[in-house]
Amino acid sequence: MTTEPELRSDAGLPLLPFYGPETGSRRGPEALGDPGEFPFTRGLHATAYNRTPWMMQQVLGAGLAEQTREIMDQLVSEGMEGYFGHKVFNVVLDNPSKGGIDPDWPEAKGHVGVGGMSLSHLDDMRRLVKGFPLESTNFSIITGDTCLVALAMYVVAAEEAGYTPDQLRGNSMNWLLKSFCVDNPDFSPRGAQKMAAQLIRYCTQEMPAWNTTNFSGYLIREAGANAVQELAFTMAWGAAVIEECIAQGLEIDAFAPRLGFQIAFHNDFFEEVAKLRALRRMWATLLHDRFGATNKKSMQARVHVHTAGDTLLFQQPQNNIVRVSLQTLGAVLAGVQSIHTCAYTESVEIPTPEQARLALRTQQIVLHETNVAQIADPLGGSWYLESLTDEVEDAAQALIDEIERKGGFVGAIESGWVKGQLVDELVKKHDLIDSGELVRVGLNKYVTEEAPESRPARFTMPPEIEQEAIRRITEWREDRDQKAVASTLDAVRATALEDGYLMPTVLDAVRAKATQGEIMNALKDVYGWGFVTN
Amino acid sequence: MPRESLAGEVTRGHPLHAPEPSGSGEHLRVVLGKKRFDAHDVGARYVMRKLVDAGMEVVFIRFALIQELVDAAIQEDAQVISLSVLTGGHLVLAADLMDGLRAAGLDDRLVIIGGVIADEDHAKLLALGVDGVFGPGSKPETIVTFINEWFGTKS
Repeated sequence: MTTEPELRSDAGLPLLPFYGPETGSRRGPEALGDPGEFPFTRGLHATAYNRTPWMMQQVLGAGLAEQTREIMDQLVSEGMEGYFGHKVFNVVLDNPSKGGIDPDWPEAKGHVGVGGMSLSHLDDMRRLVKGFPLESTNFSIITGDTCLVALAMYVVAAEEAGYTPDQLRGNSMNWLLKSFCVDNPDFSPRGAQKMAAQLIRYCTQEMPAWNTTNFSGYLIREAGANAVQELAFTMAWGAAVIEECIAQGLEIDAFAPRLGFQIAFHNDFFEEVAKLRALRRMWATLLHDRFGATNKKSMQARVHVHTAGDTLLFQQPQNNIVRVSLQTLGAVLAGVQSIHTCAYTESVEIPTPEQARLALRTQQIVLHETNVAQIADPLGGSWYLESLTDEVEDAAQALIDEIERKGGFVGAIESGWVKGQLVDELVKKHDLIDSGELVRVGLNKYVTEEAPESRPARFTMPPEIEQEAIRRITEWREDRDQKAVASTLDAVRATALEDGYLMPTVLDAVRAKATQGEIMNALKDVYGWGFVTN
Repeated sequence: MPRESLAGEVTRGHPLHAPEPSGSGEHLRVVLGKKRFDAHDVGARYVMRKLVDAGMEVVFIRFALIQELVDAAIQEDAQVISLSVLTGGHLVLAADLMDGLRAAGLDDRLVIIGGVIADEDHAKLLALGVDGVFGPGSKPETIVTFINEWFGTKS
């Protein structure tokens, strides 16, 4: 006699062979609400995507500002648009620029302009934004630890072009409290929490249209988390930053509307949709019940989906086109506000123009040809999806409760517990892939010999980029008032030490022509640089 | 004004419950290095866990400069020096690593590299003196076998 196979979701939640009225959601209608109504399980807007499509926010950036502008121009010409047809850019920096390393420092060697744009001083930012209508352009800058410095450079470059900070719209990543998932030696969790709140504090006062924070489940997922862990740790991250903002004297409804999310869309289709619906419900409930928010916008989780790079394979890379298409469809069915579709070569490196176009076209095809974007929450009411939404939420909440019992999220990061959870999960997952139990098409099943000439074209860049970046920053350092640089950096350190109002001092340092590496070093002196989790 | 690499950026994995590798009489010592600002640690973490399970002692170091990996290899008297690269730039890093190891008199150590490394770069890395290259999709057991066979034949 054969036994039925045990059915489980990717995160390990038990499933039934089918669902019906008796096995659907056990909660009442108040747990759903209509689209546009608390707790926003069914989406933020009753109008679905009819008022405006989601933002097609493709990650881009390579080389210096000039090369990055070429990619921006190409994608704009291909129809990459934000809300209401406005320009939207999601510029990623290279690793030295994310970590506070200037291009002429030895650590940067071989990595300047690789995988992102080199942003080391104000002139780089001037070149990047020159000529754009910044009052209507949505500018996101993907930073690592350099969130405050990159924002300050954007504000100063915009000021020089005639814009005031309150006219600017875009998104800081504010990925500071991230050492539990991203394995870079980092600011101490407590220091990172303070800095994140400092950025929000400045924007709340001066940049009301700027989205301050992008709590990144994506980073957590890519570090090995399953969907439940991604959701739980993202919620805990959000709560930890909110607590610090309140401690710094901010009113919840003054800043919470500008908090947002970047979430992965992974392979388990329904679990991922359930996760996004559960996230909206949990965030709304958290903001309302725990933090006493009364503004509806404070309770609305705006979500950018990044299709999961972790699912893309090096082997038979064209298969990734199919994976990304399914993930993009899922994100749209889940009603998110913004999407990055990975190019099929993202498992190797950044895309060529043709590969980048195809990634964008994937979104455009889903928007215009499938007819799925007209109706809000089209999967809502599925017995299976509603049950799974509950199950994902309950499992995530149990994990959040466990973190609370351990003394809170920052403590659980410091002790290494959070990272330990992620490492255990990634080992479990990769063991299943290695054994073939978890199928990855082209890797552990349906393997074919690939001729070298069948490999996709690779992105190339002029080799002199690094030398040019070094030449520019050397010239920049020579042509400035060194005393002014030193005194503004001293002010950054002194203000940070006394937990003062930090951003104005960073802005002054940028105006005095300090480089990103120099300003970051001042911050590293104060906020406990070098933290890693085992 | 580049900063010094700071202490505390090292993660140690000890084979607490693992058997000793047959014949060697002690744990093989591995240093596993990753560029400090390379955010990708899934591959390195997974391989580290599997090497420890196979009875090896692993020191995982995030380095700013490749010389720190060489220094770690000296301090730990490592028999295996391994590098994880998912940011590109592996040819530059590998060339600098091999120069550093030669200068430190560590030419005889086993050097392996893993990560997102395109097929056409494998031969270039081997030509630089790297002993083993493990691209995307490599199984840790392949790496463990490679290391054990290396020392099996050399001892």
